[in-house]
Amino acid sequence: MAEDLVLDTAIRDWVLIPLSVVMVLIGVLRHFVSKLMRTSSQLPDPKIVKEGQVIIRARNLRAAANFIPLKSFRARKVYYSNEENGLLFVPKGQAQNAQAQMFSDPNMAMDMMKKNLSMIIPQTLTFAWVNFFFSGFVAAKIPFPLTQRFRSMLQNGIDLSTVDVSYVSSRSWYFLNLFGLRGLFSLILGEENATDDTQRMMQMGGFGFDPSKSLSAEKDGLDILQHEWALPKFEQRAETVLRKLVS
Amino acid sequence: MAASDGSNASKEKSHDIANELPTYNAENMQSNMKVIYYSRTFMSIMGGVIAGILGFTGLMGFVFYFLVMAMTSAGMAAKAGFSVHSYFDSWNRIILDGFLGGLMSFVLFWTFAYDIVHIF
Repeated sequence: MAEDLVLDTAIRDWVLIPLSVVMVLIGVLRHFVSKLMRTSSQLPDPKIVKEGQVIIRARNLRAAANFIPLKSFRARKVYYSNEENGLLFVPKGQAQNAQAQMFSDPNMAMDMMKKNLSMIIPQTLTFAWVNFFFSGFVAAKIPFPLTQRFRSMLQNGIDLSTVDVSYVSSRSWYFLNLFGLRGLFSLILGEENATDDTQRMMQMGGFGFDPSKSLSAEKDGLDILQHEWALPKFEQRAETVLRKLVS
Repeated sequence: MAASDGSNASKEKSHDIANELPTYNAENMQSNMKVIYYSRTFMSIMGGVIAGILGFTGLMGFVFYFLVMAMTSAGMAAKAGFSVHSYFDSWNRIILDGFLGGLMSFVLFWTFAYDIVHIF
């Protein structure tokens, strides 16, 4: 490094550490708040739950099809195809229904909005706080060099153009914390935590269409499946296993 | 390594003895994947702090990150008794899975430790 800036110790004490601590605490707070809010508005629609269970049963049949004899597999397949045939013709009228229900159902819409807001508001507030208090000075030095193009992104409070790009402002420290603390949260809070927003959004987005499309998908999967009975050689396999155990 | 081995203690066998038909218990597989994820996250955080304290800069730091990830993979393979197929469905799981997931945490703690120790 050509020039080694000497930075004030006070920056360490009053910028880096408090910012990280605040972000960790806000994450923990958000997790608990979302947990509290979630249990108060949980009304699963029985019809959707029923269809979900049918899908799970059909999927299990597909996965373990090779362990039952051909006749019983066919019997089960006919049961599902017939049953889902009835369910399959309904979704044409029901698909629009589910979508309309999804967006006009006040409970569901409020729920989604609440979740989105609980993601966005703390981030926005913290960002505004960082910008207001911690701008205009060099906050940290990142240990690896970056090209000049990152200068405008990382150093936007600092108006000297001769400073190394490695010396960054506190805004970039905030973003670094934002991405890096996700791993820490998954360790502290267990695997289901409210900071993993991409996963949550994907889950919520596919909820309305789940019944109709995956029913027909499961039916097609069952129709395609070739049954190959894996068990005719079972006696020999049992023999080898028993031999291994005995010897 | 003792810390990562401790978190592996809850691994379960995920397939039965029938070797021609590999059937995997989905729940156990998922639990094993979670163990891998936790181990990698923890090791990347530790690796970040160590890299910062030792003063690695630039390329050396990233090389160190890949070294730590390789050590994690080796440790998990050792813990699984090298019979990887009874816990996971392929070698790729313990070697490649989650490799880059810990990178952001590594960089964060690397920057943190480096700044605290060296640019005091």
